[in-house]
Amino acid sequence: MRFRPKAVGGLAIAAASITALAACGGTSSSSPAAAGTPVSGGTATFAELPNTPPNYIFPFTSSAYISVSNSDLFQYLMYRPLYWFGTGSQPTLNTSLSLANYPTFSNGGKTVTITLKHYMWSDGQPVTAQNVMFWLNMEQAVGDVDYGAFTGFPNAEVASMKVASPTTLVLTMTKAYNPTWVVYNDLSQITPMPEAWDRTASGPSHCSTTVSDCAAVYKYLDAQSRNLSGYVSSPLWSVVDGPWKLAAFNADGHVTMVPNPSYSGPVKPRLAKFEELPFTSDAAEYDVLRAPSSSSKIDVGYIPTEDLPAKPAGAAVGANPLSGYTLAPWYSWGISYSTMNLQSTIGDHGAIFRQLYFRQAFQYLMNQQAIIQGPLKGYASPTVGPVASYPVTQWLSPQLKAGDQFPYDPAKARSLLASHGWKVVPGGTTTCANPSLCGPGISKGSALSFTFNYANGQAWIQAEMTQLQSNAAALGIRLNLKPEPFNTVVAGYSGNCVVAKIPCNWDMADWGLGWSFYPDVSPTGETLFKCGAIANSSGYCSAADDAMINQTLTSGNLSYMYTWENYLATQVPLIWQPNAPYQVTEVVDNLKGVLPQEPTLNITPENWYYVK
Amino acid sequence: MALFIVRRLLQAIVVLLLVTMITFALLRAIPGNVAAAVMGPNVYRDPAAIKLFDQTYGFDKPWYSQYLLWLGHIAQGNLGYSWNLNQSVSSLLGQRIPKDLVLVGFAIILAVLIAVPIGMLQAVRRNKAVDHFFNGFSTVFYAMPSFLLGLLLILVFAIKFPVFPAEAPQGETLGVIFSNFNAMILPIATLTLITVALFSRYMRSSVLDNLTEDYVRTAKAKGASERRILFRHVLRNSLIPIATLLGLSLPGVFSGALITESVFNYPGMGLLFFQQAQKQDYPTLLGVVIVVALATVVGSLLADIAYAVLDPRVRYTS
Repeated sequence: MRFRPKAVGGLAIAAASITALAACGGTSSSSPAAAGTPVSGGTATFAELPNTPPNYIFPFTSSAYISVSNSDLFQYLMYRPLYWFGTGSQPTLNTSLSLANYPTFSNGGKTVTITLKHYMWSDGQPVTAQNVMFWLNMEQAVGDVDYGAFTGFPNAEVASMKVASPTTLVLTMTKAYNPTWVVYNDLSQITPMPEAWDRTASGPSHCSTTVSDCAAVYKYLDAQSRNLSGYVSSPLWSVVDGPWKLAAFNADGHVTMVPNPSYSGPVKPRLAKFEELPFTSDAAEYDVLRAPSSSSKIDVGYIPTEDLPAKPAGAAVGANPLSGYTLAPWYSWGISYSTMNLQSTIGDHGAIFRQLYFRQAFQYLMNQQAIIQGPLKGYASPTVGPVASYPVTQWLSPQLKAGDQFPYDPAKARSLLASHGWKVVPGGTTTCANPSLCGPGISKGSALSFTFNYANGQAWIQAEMTQLQSNAAALGIRLNLKPEPFNTVVAGYSGNCVVAKIPCNWDMADWGLGWSFYPDVSPTGETLFKCGAIANSSGYCSAADDAMINQTLTSGNLSYMYTWENYLATQVPLIWQPNAPYQVTEVVDNLKGVLPQEPTLNITPENWYYVK
Repeated sequence: MALFIVRRLLQAIVVLLLVTMITFALLRAIPGNVAAAVMGPNVYRDPAAIKLFDQTYGFDKPWYSQYLLWLGHIAQGNLGYSWNLNQSVSSLLGQRIPKDLVLVGFAIILAVLIAVPIGMLQAVRRNKAVDHFFNGFSTVFYAMPSFLLGLLLILVFAIKFPVFPAEAPQGETLGVIFSNFNAMILPIATLTLITVALFSRYMRSSVLDNLTEDYVRTAKAKGASERRILFRHVLRNSLIPIATLLGLSLPGVFSGALITESVFNYPGMGLLFFQQAQKQDYPTLLGVVIVVALATVVGSLLADIAYAVLDPRVRYTS
């Protein structure tokens, strides 16, 4: 699980209905796509989002460095995860790009057998089960502190692990879990590591066989990762099993990769080079897109929010302002929300937020469609609950496929407040008139006046906050908007304040980007919504919710998933808000294979090729 | 003069200490847990991780102890480590400062070379058409925000008429920059035009003041040509405010040009400070502050020395 990376660049505006997005092809070209003859070679350039240079190469990445730019757009091109997620525009398992076959489950689901395919490291060694064990041992040893996407696996769920053969690993789980969940949320975390990395400064070590050696090995590899100028020449990092290897690396973000001739995967790169280009701002990137020169060109870039063409109803994209390019929104697999602190220590605000009717009333004031059509220019989808509504997957219940459960309705919001003892004063301050109806812990005269901290720097969030403030004011709910830097908002308000032992004296917060379901792909709610979960920023806690989540973890029956998400969507543990795309991509017409884009935000430049 | 310089250098040390102390205290006063800001909320999972972070970077000590610790590191040449950018602060500064030396340095030198003659011409042709023209020029460019000017230049000279690239040279080394120097034209032009507007106004005003001085009347009475009066007498005296401006511009060379860097995709010190301030990257911020503070005191000192050289009446004595 990952707090959505701060994608400042192409974060676009506007949302569309789930139906329209699902139905549309999702691209627009200003000129007919060149059919052309595929050619080998060429250098494809890929624009990084502003201020997101890759800066950490070791694929066991700590919280400080785990990000799309380090993992999906850098490490995974060289070091393949055990299982690859992203099949076209779906976040599903891609067995053809995975290093192992789909695992077999036996012993009532408690035994998981992973069989590796025949892949080779570039140093001539095969990718073995011991390499997988290397990662698992390190995760056991230091994962809770030093792995940024730590979920508890394997410590919490695996009773024992055994290398049965060079290509077979057997995990014995503590109980029978939902097989899909095991693959999508546990095994999805693993990136096998070569024996060449099993060492410390003083020489070879044994982390792949001995957990107690792993802390020292991690420390060594982490230290090596801090030598950015040594990435290309390093004998460690040059051992790759992915389709690419590093040819040049600058700390400012310029990255050049060339094909790994030892790559064993199904698709070998056709390009001669793949380059990532850093940019200081959206405007700088867009200027180069519009005015390529002999020294700078972008094949796969993005269009800034303010330059996006408005998306007509029923269309996937608007008219592309750039000729020779295809416009394609890149949606990430995740949800977007702002947080109401149910554990707030300010007055009786926590007690107010703990009232379901209040959360629902507030949700009715969030006009997702207006934000989508307005500042987001049509390029977003509403968040309808704990499961992403786009792309539409098997995990989305029929009820939530129908759309937003709380479409903008100030009349309903008012009715909820009034029927629960609040004296609604439009334009003024609504107060509690009847405490027995308002709810426990709320005293007579309590005012609906709250502070809302949000991350600055994104125009659509600013617009959304202003709109929400205005909608709330119409019902006498006063929101004191407080913009703060992104890091400040994340540091202060994204964790469960009681569990994390950080101050709880805040009301509402929005870092603008929500949650990304990767590398734990299955959108089960144990990380975000269970009682006491560290990332459960609102502090929502419900025994019923926990019980339903537990059912989704142990059974593959989707009805449990649907029951849980339908329940939680109406519980409004978080304030659902529009889910903007990661970026709206521009792909040069003579470069094929880039689309469709994977919602896991992985890229596969080995599939890209030029045509003439 | 020597004593004056020594005294100023000693004062500079005190100034540097004060500036860094105030900056340090202000940064430490920013609310929020730095470990969480750097490592994300997952760090709350294990208080030991926060404790380790705090111990490693000294956040478990009172701010003044942290400051002394930091001073000790500085004395050993260790500017610290940017946890955000995963590089040492010194390497970051080493990458960025040369780029701004080229961008801002060239812009200032060009601005002086252009502004001085323009200012003189305006003064000599006061209230004539050429004076009005350059007055208009300086008003327009002085009022124009740098981002607007930069974007206009890109629009015209990179997009509409592709004469120059839309971005500055890409690369970490000066070699890359100089090998693709035509890509520096537009960013340098952006800064130069705005700086010329400022400098030429000062120069015009200064020349006008000097043209009314007695020594000019005396020189005319003695039969000196206008050219001789202007270039042998008036110019030198008129350069005094320019010297001051140049000295005060030195910090700008090291602090970078945030807007221009952003528009032309040229990451320098300005962007470094701006971006890392948003990420509570204290070591980097303090590193930049030291460099800019040092440049400020040196620039001020150089301005005073230039003043003394240009005007023999000025003597710095103990």
